[in-house]
Formats: sequence, structure tokens, C-alpha cells
Amino acid sequence: MMRRAGAVAAQPSAPSFKRFRSSLGEHVLIVPHTRVFDLPGDLADDWDADPAASTRLALTLAEQSPGETALEDVVVPSAQSISLNVSSACNLSCGYCYADRGGFGGAQSTRMTAEVAIAAVDTLLAGADRRAPVTIGFLGGEPLLNRALVRQVVDHAERAGAALGLDVRFSMTSNGTLLSEADIAMMRTRRFALTVSVDGGGAVHDRQRPTARGRGSFAELAKRLAPLLADPGSAQVAARMTVQSDSMDLAVRFDAVLGIGFSEAGVSPLRVSSNGSELADEHWPGYLAELIALSRRELGRALAGGSIRLTNLAVALKRIHAGSASPYPCGAGGGYFSVAAEGKWYACHRAVGDAAYELGDSRGLDEKRRQDFLVERHVHSQTDCRGCWARYLCSGSCHQESRSRSAAGCDFIRDWLSFCLSAYCELSTRRPEYFGIDVTH
Amino acid sequence: MPTVDAPKLLARNVAAVRRFSRPVAGSVAGNPVSSRLESGVGNCFPGLECDLRNLERRFLPFLEIEFQLFQVNGAVVQLIQPVAVDAAGVSTALANGELSQSTAEVYGDIGDAIAAARLVAGVELSGTFGILGQRRLDLTQLDGTNTAGPNRNPPDAWTAVRMLTELSPLEVTFIALEPEETFILNTTRARYLDDNGALSAMFLPGELTQSLCSPWTHDFRDCGCFYWASNHPDIAQPVFPAAVPPADIQSWTTDVPWQRRDRPVMPTPPAPANTGSSRPVELRHYEINRRWQELHFVVGRRETTLPFKAKKLSGTPLPNLPTLLAHLRYASGVEIGVAQEYLTAAYSLKADNDPSLGVSAQLRDDVRATRSELMRIAIGEMRHTRAVNDVIRALMPPGTFEPALRVARLLPQAGHPDVDRPVVPRPASKPALDDFISIEAPSAGVDGLYFDILATLENPPADVGPFVASEWTEAISSIIAEGEDHYQTFLDIKEWLAPHVEADYLRNVNPPRPAPGQAQHDAFQVAYAALLEDLHTGYEKGRLSGAAEVNAARVAMIGTIDPLAHAVAEAGFLVAFDDIADPRFHPIDPP
Repeated sequence: MMRRAGAVAAQPSAPSFKRFRSSLGEHVLIVPHTRVFDLPGDLADDWDADPAASTRLALTLAEQSPGETALEDVVVPSAQSISLNVSSACNLSCGYCYADRGGFGGAQSTRMTAEVAIAAVDTLLAGADRRAPVTIGFLGGEPLLNRALVRQVVDHAERAGAALGLDVRFSMTSNGTLLSEADIAMMRTRRFALTVSVDGGGAVHDRQRPTARGRGSFAELAKRLAPLLADPGSAQVAARMTVQSDSMDLAVRFDAVLGIGFSEAGVSPLRVSSNGSELADEHWPGYLAELIALSRRELGRALAGGSIRLTNLAVALKRIHAGSASPYPCGAGGGYFSVAAEGKWYACHRAVGDAAYELGDSRGLDEKRRQDFLVERHVHSQTDCRGCWARYLCSGSCHQESRSRSAAGCDFIRDWLSFCLSAYCELSTRRPEYFGIDVTH
Repeated sequence: MPTVDAPKLLARNVAAVRRFSRPVAGSVAGNPVSSRLESGVGNCFPGLECDLRNLERRFLPFLEIEFQLFQVNGAVVQLIQPVAVDAAGVSTALANGELSQSTAEVYGDIGDAIAAARLVAGVELSGTFGILGQRRLDLTQLDGTNTAGPNRNPPDAWTAVRMLTELSPLEVTFIALEPEETFILNTTRARYLDDNGALSAMFLPGELTQSLCSPWTHDFRDCGCFYWASNHPDIAQPVFPAAVPPADIQSWTTDVPWQRRDRPVMPTPPAPANTGSSRPVELRHYEINRRWQELHFVVGRRETTLPFKAKKLSGTPLPNLPTLLAHLRYASGVEIGVAQEYLTAAYSLKADNDPSLGVSAQLRDDVRATRSELMRIAIGEMRHTRAVNDVIRALMPPGTFEPALRVARLLPQAGHPDVDRPVVPRPASKPALDDFISIEAPSAGVDGLYFDILATLENPPADVGPFVASEWTEAISSIIAEGEDHYQTFLDIKEWLAPHVEADYLRNVNPPRPAPGQAQHDAFQVAYAALLEDLHTGYEKGRLSGAAEVNAARVAMIGTIDPLAHAVAEAGFLVAFDDIADPRFHPIDPP
């Protein structure tokens, strides 16, 4: 149930293509609808020699095909996914926490009640599109501090969802230190996507993610997770590494995280923090180098028939292959909402307590506010973004990080995507099976 | 220049491949079919789409030619003038062994001659000219004579070239002047299309359409085939100087040049158009480009600068099919009734050879015009009768159609919607003409009758709906529109006859109505009854099968009835149509 609520016009002079090269030769990315073409022979020279003609050609190639949505459209889908901020407390005190350990700077002080949680779930299930899965996520603070509610919601959502013929899935972001056998049993037997915040080997992790009393949490985490990692059942477990400016040795940390037993890990550079540990302009080149080095290693594995364990790279390659193009970086305010402990619905979990992102409650969404939000967050509305070639891949990036946007930060994203584009071309030629490409025709 | 072997863009990811996959919804991006050559209205004229004459410009490989008129030994003939040589193409063909050295040199010579601004013309063609077979044609002798019979020639060089068989060998003799030289080119007639039916690459983009009309500029002024002029008037009545029509409207009811250069709106009307040269009066070609915006819209034959609001026709749909049929039958009767009145009026005018019409040149012309127009309108009403009968037939189940040929007993009156008047045969007196004007007045009289019929067809009740087709609403709309024309014409007739007294133009100001037994009148009535009989049979049989009877009726009107009517008039009587007792033709009352 998608509703087209309007459009935000594209900037006419925005680049319609991006030329890049790989070890295979020359390529071009047609920016709208993310189409990748090879330019064999002299075609690259011809392309580069006449920018006006190549722009015209790029615009022709960019034309919408059946099944594609117009990129200037503001589409309002039905809410398909919510996260419940079930706990306003946390047993850790990580310096960079966006949620201020669950309190969101005072905006959230109580734990969520069953009444609030069930109301939110019922609203979600009632309005969701039956043809797509519905996801209910648990956040906090540390959600497992309110595991009783988690359990209750999971049971209720399954029953109610089944009655409505919905495919209900669950997710949780947890620090992993409180995971119990019962929790593991619950997750194993359902489609539960668990993301555990693990910042690297013990040393880095303990430094960045201390307990409330200042002790390390790595050992506890590793112990608690071991059984689930050994046998995940239906659950999918992933690690998420937050990278601060003072520890950017990604490969080492990555290996340490995988050493616990994770099959994949994603890295997330800190762009906004309250303690000055975020990456500043001078850090980006170094970070990029680290990320590319790590990626090359993983690509080597893929070429040899293995999997890519770096989530960032795996997702980027998948999206480039499919030609994902979106004017939004995420579903915030569109298909995804985050419910605060007291019951208000926010566009996203990082914005709990931020009035600008408050869009309603379980009785209903303020559709006008929602629409205004979606118009405002559309990449064509972002002055920084609408003239960038990466505008439908990066899509402006996390709304909550936009205030820290800088030229250096954006250069990083563009350079990373350029790398991914080249890597995609090489991998799809050398090992097409990775993408499920049938080469037998 | 891209070739078949040039490398192509290769789609790599799913989104790229999808761009070129077969569309699901069936909408294809790219040029619409209307931009393709085969959909074009190709003609041999600077017309609407491609001018096929441009094909012959490249009938000789590597040459671009024009068909030009030259003075040769006192006569004007069409010769082939090369204007450009594709030197690069010649070199390539020579290198590929497709052209001999000697032929390449001839191309070179022609090119040099052109470059030196010497006159070059092809004067002789030797080749296979279609059905004329192998011939050697001297183009200087093609003067349009001897174009029939066994040794016939094409009338001109262009026709000769068009007769050449594609790819057949050809020898062209060119003569260059200053100094006089002869070049003989051995070649073949070029192919215009390639193996895929697409235009050969030798034609440059836009070449076939380069000679098209430019309607926004000069052709507006002087279109030789009147295509553009047909959409724009040469003459129109001038725009009024004020929003209200002036008091002496007569002086403003005159035709003036619509493209006149002198455009300010003055208190007096512009000079009327005449048959003299338009050059001093009309906007010049270069002026038209800028000043076309000053031209006025013409509505109802008069220029206007005021907003125009079309009068909304309003009719009330009739409730059901029987009511509609009753109205249609009555309408047919009204057409017959008014036709009778107009015919009576026409025959009441003095004969064209009446010497008393010589009193003034204007009088004879006015009477001639009046008779002509009265007849035209009467015939128009007869066509309306036919059209209404066609509509009635369409609305009735097959096999049940009964022709509507009963004359109306009463005619609707404008200004008196509830009071009808009887059909009155009378001469074309001034009051009679006023009556004719009022019966044809828009949205009144006869028109009013049809509005309800049209409204019924446009918003049909349930029992009418299944029979309605656009053909019938169009037919009724046309009848209404023609009523407008009749109204205007009667206004004109009134104007023409205004300066004359009735005695001047009528045979008899008050001719008596003949009684039965009067010889000419009886003959006339018999012929009229036979005519109706033929029409009845013809209409009943239907459009194709009844053709013989309808044609017989037509022939009878011209060959039999018209002379008989004249005879009645000459005998000093009114030409009148008696009521017929036969129920098929007996007068019909309004529904």
C-alpha cells in the first residue's frame, strides 16, 4: 500500500553519470536507477571527449523502466516495521551512545509498559501490507533489561500476526552481555535478527564499551554469545563495530570480532558523539584506506569461492548488482518507525525525544507531518546531496548524522562507493556465481 | 561515423539489463511511429511530411544533384546539375576496388568544375528507363512533347530519372562550360533504401524533409497549392471599430484583405478587396514573419478582437423512441415544406433571358444570384430530407422502415414558438424573404426543431441508446450548421434585392395559384407525384439497392420537373405543390 504523495524535482544540472574504471577496463554508472555499463574499446574516449553528448546519452539510459519508481516521487508506504524502545536503562555506559544509555537525555525515563507495546504492535499489524514481511525490533537502552516485555510482545505478535496472515519477524540490537539461555532459545526458534554491538578485540571493546562501573564487557559478551553463535537456528546474528577516531585499525578489530564466532561484522564510523570521539575531517582518508584494505581481503576470499564477511561490502555489492536507487537512505518515517517508551512514534530510534521527528502515536500518525518529513528528507531536498553522483546510493545518509556532514565525510562515502563499483565489476566478471548470475546462456 | 562493428555499451548490472529488456506494459521508448518514413504522407510536393522529390537528388552515387531549368537554344529545359561531389566516398570506393580509376577521375573533374564555379549540367542519360527500356535520352530535347505512343519520351529530366531501374548501369554525359568540356560518367542508379528498408546512409538526416512548407512564414502568404491559404482567409469582413456594431453596418459588411498591411482600426472601414494585385496591399513576406500576430481571428466571416463565446445549443431530450421518430418524421416534412416554398419563390423570379432585367447590369446579376442561391438552399433541404430519412432508418428495426416523405402541414416560426404557420407558396416578395430569414434563424424555427432531436441522440433514453451512432449525431449537427448557412444566405439575398422593387425582379408580383385542370400545373403535379414515388421506393430499398430510383428522381428533377415548373411560371401562375391524397405523401401534422 504505497501512496504517491507528491514529488521533489531533481536538480537538472546534477550529474547523470559517473565514470570509473576497474582492472577490467572502463565503466560508467548511470546515476538515476544505478545502472552500470562497461565501455569497451574506444567508447570510453568517445564518452569522455564529448560531455554534452554523453550527458544526453546518460539521460536516455537513465529513463525509467517498467517496475521502477520515479526517483523524484515522495512515496508514503504503509508502516511495515517498528522498533520498540522497551528499556530506558542499560548496564553499560559507552561514551558514544546516541541514546544516552536509553534515557535520550531525559526524554525517556520509564520502561515501556505492555499496554504501550501491544498497542503499537496492533497498530502496526493492522495497517501493514500483507504481501511483505513485518518486522518488530527491540531497542533501548539494553532491551534485554525488559526481557519479560520482549517475550510478551513476541508471543502476542506471533499470534496476532498469524491470525492476519502476516509474516512477522523480529530484530534486536543488544550489547550481548545479558543474553540468557531462554533468550537464545526464543531467538533460535524464530526469525530473529540479532545485532550485537562489538567494537573489536577485548582491549578496544573494553575501552569503548565499559560497564556502568567502568569494567570491561568483552569477556562476558563472548561467553554469553558462544552458544548462539555455535548454533543460531533460525536466528541471524551479526556484529556491529563502532569505530572511533582513536582506533581505526579495522582489520585487526574485524578479525577479533570474527574470532568470537561471528560470521559477519559491519563497521560504523562514529560521526556524531557527545565525547569528541567522532571522526573528523582529517580522519576520513585513513579510515577509507583501512576499509578498502579490509575489503580487498574479503574480496580475495570471494574470488576464491568464499563469502564476504564484511557486512558493509556485502550489502554495497548486492545493492550495486541489483541497481538499488532510492531517494531515501532508510525507511525512517516511511515504512519504519520507532516507538518511545511512553508510546509516541518517532521517525527513527535515534531521534526519540526530538520533536521534529515525532510523527504520532499508536492511535494514529499525523499524515501531514509524515508527508512533510518525507518531502524534507528526500535527497532532492538536500542542498548538499542533490548535485552529487552518489545521491541515490548514499541517499543523504543517516538523517541523524546529517548535521555533521562535511566535504571530507562525503568524499569518503563517494570514494568508498567508487571502490565498491570497481569491486563489483571485477567480482561479477571473475566470479559471477557470487551474484547468482547465470553464465551458461 | 558509427559503423555496424562499433563497440557497444555493455549492460553489466540488473538495472542496466532491465533498461533494455522487453517492456512489460508495451510502451516503447523512442521515436513515435509517426516519425518513421513509412508512416509519412510522402508526396512530390513541399507538403506535409517528406518530399519524395528529394530522393532523386542522389540518384547518382557520390553526387548530389539538382534539377534546374536551363536556356538551351532558345528553349527552357530541365537538366541535371551536380552541386556537390562526395570526394571522400569516391576515394574509399576506389581504394576498395568498387570504382575504377577512370570513373574516379570523372568525379574529380566534376568536383573541380564545381569548385571553380563553372557551369556543369548533365545533358544526356543512357540507361534502362523502366517500361521504356534501354534508351539514350537527350535531356535538352525533353520539352514535354512526344509523351505518348511507342517512341514516347518522358516529359522532363526528373521523370526520366524516376524511371531508371535501381542499380541498372547508367551513362551520364555532363557538359561543363568555360572552357567547354564533356565528362562521361559510367555508373549505376543508386539504391535509395538499404536491405532493411531503411533510408540509405547516403541521405543526410533531414534531407528528405528540407523542402517542407514553413507555414509560419512565407507560405502563409503565397502558398502555391492553397493548402495554408485554405485555413486562412484571403478576405474577411473587417473588425468593428468599437465593441458594438456601428450604426451603418452596411459599409462594414464588405470584404477586405485579411492580410492587409495597413492595420490600424479606423472609424471608417478599410478599403475593400479587389481582384487586382495583392502586392501593395498585403503584408510582405518578410513582414509576415513578425507581424502575423497582428492578424485577427475571423468568426462568422468577420474579424474580431473580442472574446468569442460560442452560443450554447440547448435542446431537451425527447422521452422515448416513438416521440423521437415522430419528431424526425415531422422534421423531414418541414424540410420538404420549406423546399417547396423556396422553389416556388425561385420560380417566381424573372427568367434569366427576360429583357426587362437589362434595366441595370446589377439587376440581372442580383436576380441570377438570388435564383441560384434559392435553388441551392432548396436542394440543401432535399439533402436534409434524405439525411433525416437515413437517421430514421437507423433507429428502426430492420425491415420496418417507412420513408418519411410527408410534407409538413405547419412550419415552426421563430419568435412564435407556440404558433406554427402553414406552408404558403408565394413569390419571392420582401415579406416572404423576411419569413425565410426567420425560419432559418439560428436556434429558432427549424433549428429549434433539431436541437431537441440532437439532444435526444446525445443523451438517449433507454430505448434509443442502442441505435445511436456518431454518424447520426453528426448528420443532425450538419443539418443545424447548414441552417446557419441558409440564414446568412437569405440575409445576403435580402441585401441584393434591397435596391430593387418587386416588380423589377418578379415575373408577377401576385401570381394566381393555378387550379386543377390548368395544363402546365397538372403536368407539373404528375411529375412531382412520380418523383415522390421514386424517392419512396429508393429510400425504402436503402442506400445501395435504391440507387437506381434515387438517381431517376434526380434526373427527373433536372430534366422533367424544372422545365415543367418554368412552363407554369411562364404561363403566369404560381408554381405550387398540391397536397397529395396518398397517405405516404399526405401532409403531416407536428407531433
